Amino acid sequence: MKIAQFLLAGACAALIVGCGEKPQVALNKPGQSAAKADDKPFGPGTAYADRATWERTLRARADNQNEYKRVN
Amino acid sequence: MARMKFICDAERCIECNGCVTACKNEHDVPWGVNRRRVVTLNDGIVGAERSISVACMHCSDAPCKAVCPVNCFYTTDDGVVLHDKDLCIGCGYCFYACPFGAPQFPQAGAFGLRGKMDKCTFCAGGPEKDASKTEVEKYGRNRLAEGKLPACAEMCSTKALLAGDGDVLSDIYRERVMRRGRGGDLWGHATAYGVKSVPATQPAPVQQKS
Repeated sequence: MKIAQFLLAGACAALIVGCGEKPQVALNKPGQSAAKADDKPFGPGTAYADRATWERTLRARADNQNEYKRVN
Repeated sequence: MARMKFICDAERCIECNGCVTACKNEHDVPWGVNRRRVVTLNDGIVGAERSISVACMHCSDAPCKAVCPVNCFYTTDDGVVLHDKDLCIGCGYCFYACPFGAPQFPQAGAFGLRGKMDKCTFCAGGPEKDASKTEVEKYGRNRLAEGKLPACAEMCSTKALLAGDGDVLSDIYRERVMRRGRGGDLWGHATAYGVKSVPATQPAPVQQKS
């Protein structure tokens, strides 16, 4: 009888042990990056005044990959 | 807002490894680390051999980002997946999560000790001041901030590898496929990777006499 009680108590303890588990990563919030803030390639101090200018440059550059648009 | 992507046209790639060389040279990538590599399928089978250039695909829902225990990954406004090497602990989880094998780990010491993860940055550097010495040393050159596209794509001799805004790449690829003139088979596996039915060139297995 005592063995059964002992086993039952042990099983109950094993069942609830997971409830006390704490997050083991202290600084992280799921879904949020902990990386440093990155510079924007446009704005003051860069070669491009605003996002539109920068995107237009890259778009034109990407479009140049289409050799069908070249004169040949 | 742009959504930066790579696309490799398997009909055009000639396995010259120019993209690999361009990347290594541009970013001074150390020996043993390959941010980009060329994979050949059906190697040696006449008519079925196809090569594609593979690197980080800058996934919209990046699995590397999901599994990183220190949350060192971030996605820029333009869809480029980057990471902070100051936070990376070199655990290798991202390598196991990535379906393309993009994350690379330099050997940092004896007994195979791993260094901090290194991967393709879409030539966009990392979370340091743009074009600073620190950024170049840690992540390589930031060509995007200079208004240029990744070196691998710009170097590609056959223009198999394209890089840039997804919309522009779609337009280029669409025109290319239209001009190839595959009739009703404009889209799909056969156009992208070649026809599935391949003439058998390998010798039939010899049956042993019992």
